[in-house]
Amino acid sequence: MKAICWMGKYKVETQTVPDPSIINPRDAIIRITRTAICGSDLHLYDGFIPTMESGDIMGHEFMGIVEDVGSGVGNLRRGDRVVVPFTIACGNCFFCRKKIWSACDNSNPNAHLMEAAYGYSGSGLFGYSHMMGGYAGGQAQYARVPFADVGPLKIESDLSDEKVLFLSDILPTGYMAAENAQIQPGDTVAVWGCGPVGQFTIASAFMLGAGRVIAIDRYEERLALARALGAITVNYADEDVSVLTAIKDLTGGTGPDSCIDAVGLEGHSAELQGIYDTIKTAFLMETDRPVVLRQAIQAVRKGGTVSIPGVYGGLLDKVPFGAAFGKGITMKMGQTNMHTYMKPLLERIEKGQIDPTYIISHRISLEEAPEMYKVWRDKQENVTKIVIDPWLDRAA
Amino acid sequence: MVNFNEKPNAEPLPRQSGASIILDGRYLPPPEDKDGKLWVRTSALVQGSPQDLYALWRKTELAPLWQEEIEEVVLTGETTSRWTMRSDDTVITWDSEILADEPGERIAWRSIGGDSDNAGEVIFEKAPGGRGTYVIVLQEFRMSKLTSAWETLSGRNPKQAVIENLRHFKALAEAGEIPRSQEAPHGKRGLIARFKRSLYGENVTTPPGTKVA
Repeated sequence: MKAICWMGKYKVETQTVPDPSIINPRDAIIRITRTAICGSDLHLYDGFIPTMESGDIMGHEFMGIVEDVGSGVGNLRRGDRVVVPFTIACGNCFFCRKKIWSACDNSNPNAHLMEAAYGYSGSGLFGYSHMMGGYAGGQAQYARVPFADVGPLKIESDLSDEKVLFLSDILPTGYMAAENAQIQPGDTVAVWGCGPVGQFTIASAFMLGAGRVIAIDRYEERLALARALGAITVNYADEDVSVLTAIKDLTGGTGPDSCIDAVGLEGHSAELQGIYDTIKTAFLMETDRPVVLRQAIQAVRKGGTVSIPGVYGGLLDKVPFGAAFGKGITMKMGQTNMHTYMKPLLERIEKGQIDPTYIISHRISLEEAPEMYKVWRDKQENVTKIVIDPWLDRAA
Repeated sequence: MVNFNEKPNAEPLPRQSGASIILDGRYLPPPEDKDGKLWVRTSALVQGSPQDLYALWRKTELAPLWQEEIEEVVLTGETTSRWTMRSDDTVITWDSEILADEPGERIAWRSIGGDSDNAGEVIFEKAPGGRGTYVIVLQEFRMSKLTSAWETLSGRNPKQAVIENLRHFKALAEAGEIPRSQEAPHGKRGLIARFKRSLYGENVTTPPGTKVA
């Protein structure tokens, strides 16, 4: 089959690789019909995530048709159309039973690597380093899905692939980010980052009762999408704009009830701290650039909530913890507990309440993907979301 | 005199045993490596009853399904068995004997000749709050620190193997299979990737868990 392989920092290639096969009883093989490039794939592309090995197949947002199932999968059969959650969960451990699916104890074969780095291991993920499981990803024509009796969501209506594809990660991730923000009716919510997750976070914040949403980014096309959802936008790259001042101005000096960091470890800032992080990470004295996290903690109102769907990887410098304590804030974060949100969000799509396709800007083939990784990283061509048809025959 | 007696959910402490982590209400640290002995103690919360988990562990002949590099276990008596372990081309064998066998509570064993000098104990304790069972393993190996360091570089240190084996046991008990990704398809691996695989322990084959997929 064809697949997109990570071949080192800034280097991905479309290669021909062996097809996957059933290994364990609860496996399924999926013939992938649509897959996407995620913002978090850029952390791999930029070399921020350790334990990648050259040749690794990337991708964790995918859906397709069940091709084969193991003897332990009773609820799926060949021909079923499914969306696959990017986190892998066994369904039976302490964490799965508590519905903290992304903390599953039994889905990461390389748990000891993550234990060494983080103390405990989270669940395995598709195509996201060996520390996170070493599973082949979904930017390919086929994928092996472990614990297929627990994860994949069956699509029984005739909705197009594009309408349901984002149930694999970014729609539930945006929704959980808003839920973690503990929004009360009428609250003001600030969202940093208006990429795909930021978009769905803004939409979800309104669904959960926000009165106002303030959206922060530096790309006009993304801010325009945010305004179309009803948000007030702040472009931090505009001359004379200070994010913290803008947020104070927009909240009568009180601060938002909730601040959501939908950016994560590769944040940018035109201010001094942006230069500080760039230098420190360049000299390996810091792993992440927590520009947005710092701003979110400083901006949130006293007793407010900071929710973090953006991915962080390591050790963060100059996080204003005194401000966090002084204001008595709550922080909630983590990989999305996918399995909890997929079905209710599918129902909303089926009822026509939401249509996530509006963020798609590019539809490409696997051959075109390596070049598009660069476009995606540099935010050229007004890119907002890249969807791949792995069976499309079109050369780069 | 302490007089704070409102503890609606407090539970009694477990009874004492060699692998115990609590002694008279105090935390007991694991034994340190010395005098040519390496010690490892590890524990896992497993969703299952102490009885069922004991029964799974006690089926000695099934050990190759969940213990790394164990090729075969042959029962040689009521409490004795012969173990064969293969790492790449090196095959070692030893005999083992069960010293204590308390259904639903504990199993203790030691090697009685052959290529490995080890002894161990596993205990099954009900976790507080009805959360399942704490499975605690204490194992010792008679091995020099130099040999141990070499094992770490060349494959799997026996201490880490005990930790991984308990992880595999838990997965088999809870999920009915052991997660695996070593067979994952991939593109061209470079030299550095091959070095990383060895460093991450990915050259040690994950045990099969179940026989049929």
